Amino acid sequence: MKNDVNTHQMTSGRPLDKGLHAVYFIAMIFLKRIDLDRLLESLRADYRVYVPRVMGKGTGYSLLREGDTDYVIGEIRSFDPLKSFFFLGREKVAEGFSPRVPHEDKPPCIVGAKACDLKGFRILDFVFMDEEYGDPTYMRHRKEGLIISADCTGVGDTCFCTALDLNPWPEAEFDLNLSPVEGGFIVAVGSEKGRKLVESHSDMFGETEDKALADSAKKNRNDIRKRVAKNAKEKQIPSVDRLKRVMQKNYEEADLWKDSSRDCVECGACNTICPTCHCFLLYDQKADGRLARYRVWDSCMINDFARVAGGENPRDRLWMRLRNRFDKKFNYFPEVASEIACTGCGRCIAACPGKIDIREVLARLEV
Amino acid sequence: MKNPYSSIETEVLKVTTETPTIKTFLLKPKEKIAFKPGQFMEFSVPGVGEAPFTPSSDSQNTETMEITIVRVGRVTDAIHELEPGDTVGLRGPLGKGYPLTKFIGQDIVVVGGGVGLAPIRTLMYGLFNMRDQISKLVYRGGCRNPEEMLYRKELESWMDRKDLDMKLTVDQCDDTWNGPVGVVTTIMNDIDVDFSRARAIVCGPPIMMKFATFKLQELGIKDRNIYLSMEKNMSCGFGKCGHCRIGPYYCCKDGPVFTYDMIRDYPGIWE
Repeated sequence: MKNDVNTHQMTSGRPLDKGLHAVYFIAMIFLKRIDLDRLLESLRADYRVYVPRVMGKGTGYSLLREGDTDYVIGEIRSFDPLKSFFFLGREKVAEGFSPRVPHEDKPPCIVGAKACDLKGFRILDFVFMDEEYGDPTYMRHRKEGLIISADCTGVGDTCFCTALDLNPWPEAEFDLNLSPVEGGFIVAVGSEKGRKLVESHSDMFGETEDKALADSAKKNRNDIRKRVAKNAKEKQIPSVDRLKRVMQKNYEEADLWKDSSRDCVECGACNTICPTCHCFLLYDQKADGRLARYRVWDSCMINDFARVAGGENPRDRLWMRLRNRFDKKFNYFPEVASEIACTGCGRCIAACPGKIDIREVLARLEV
Repeated sequence: MKNPYSSIETEVLKVTTETPTIKTFLLKPKEKIAFKPGQFMEFSVPGVGEAPFTPSSDSQNTETMEITIVRVGRVTDAIHELEPGDTVGLRGPLGKGYPLTKFIGQDIVVVGGGVGLAPIRTLMYGLFNMRDQISKLVYRGGCRNPEEMLYRKELESWMDRKDLDMKLTVDQCDDTWNGPVGVVTTIMNDIDVDFSRARAIVCGPPIMMKFATFKLQELGIKDRNIYLSMEKNMSCGFGKCGHCRIGPYYCCKDGPVFTYDMIRDYPGIWE
């Protein structure tokens, strides 16, 4: 799975991984940028197509409208996390007393998603997809949604995915992946749905045997990974196999948590922006005589998060809430799901008005 | 697939005022609801919101259900305004409840406090229904004052049962009270069971649960045999929303009944 820069997933003739995330192969597929425009235009018939557009110093997602071509593939992860399209910030989950599941007509198609965000699915799927109490809305978005991911072609100051054993290019959880090269993209097929998409749009997808294109995609991957790794190394983040242990070891170190949470203003930005944060509350509303129940993102950093109606609050101090956030990501999820619930996307660092840096807190755990 | 977020339409049949702040609601859901003692329901007032409660009626009755509710906040304020004929929502049952089959053949000690007497009533009905399968049965109940004693008449009628060793206490007495005065742990010294094997069940306000648990330990009941009904902030009720985590567990999905050995090492369990 973790091949050293595995551009050969695009060029070899057999699935790389017989496991859950088998990578299907057909040939080295090349897609011109203009054909991507055409492909997305045609996908609009069946999907709500969201594309990353330049917003300030980065990119943010918005809906692709007819004829739009002003999107950017590559770069780094967008401002908004991928979860926002599968586990929405505010989403109607029930109406009246009907067991019917409310839903939008068209499923989402997300273009240019990055590896860090795709890793978030391993946590969200664990939480929301279970047999007895699966979240029907999330499961529908996941089942019907389409993901056209892309390699990173830039590095943000806050990127540290390599410290979490992740590469800055998608290796799983995508239908199609785009590796930007001169004039277009080398396309990897990651699912049966992706394979069918290529087949049904065969006029858009070409084949190429140009080794120089494959080499340039490979070179980009190598370069980006080196740059992220350099960033991450400077921060002295504990290695992945030690994170759970150092989290447990420092759980009772109240001073460390007090000091780390000193500048927190309880805005909850770290939660809303995080690709793995899944906490929510249910909110009932009555408008025009119609009852609706909404699932709304919640934040574990806010004082009332665990408070019960009677007044007791198991985490009434801010430092306990910061500790709980770290415990959830680096101890709880490794324990119950064998996954660290941090993807190294660095959004929480960029979003924090108190300049709390998850990398620095993790580095302190190692001491 | 089923929608775990949708509630079953339910009619309020009867409202009984138990104390100035506690009412019991007799509810009739449009679909039958089969629950086990210790499991809980999400009770919603249309357009206002939901809150979790454990039923207080006999779980063998799937047609109607009673829930006893203290007025403490936004949702319970709205619940206390309800009248017979009103429509509300019920979602559940949720959680695991008491493992009654593990109680077979054992001595059972039940300790309840305050509004915790409500879910304990459901458990007691369950234990009475299987009375011939369990050995000794002990009940110790307490609350602040006689006025706040839930189901007082019914509880006092249980005093006459030959198959139950029962005592009630109040923190502060009034003219109507002839029984013991003091917190519930003060009426636990004469419990006569095989402590090495007995099972204990505790339900009540956090501070009472804490000291009752310590008392049961002192008497010699093993941590793994002490069943605690935990109260945490629970929104979804099935392990998704993240509010009620206790270490590796969610109070809603893995509880709300836990044995003390499962949770004793995690912070904030009594808060």
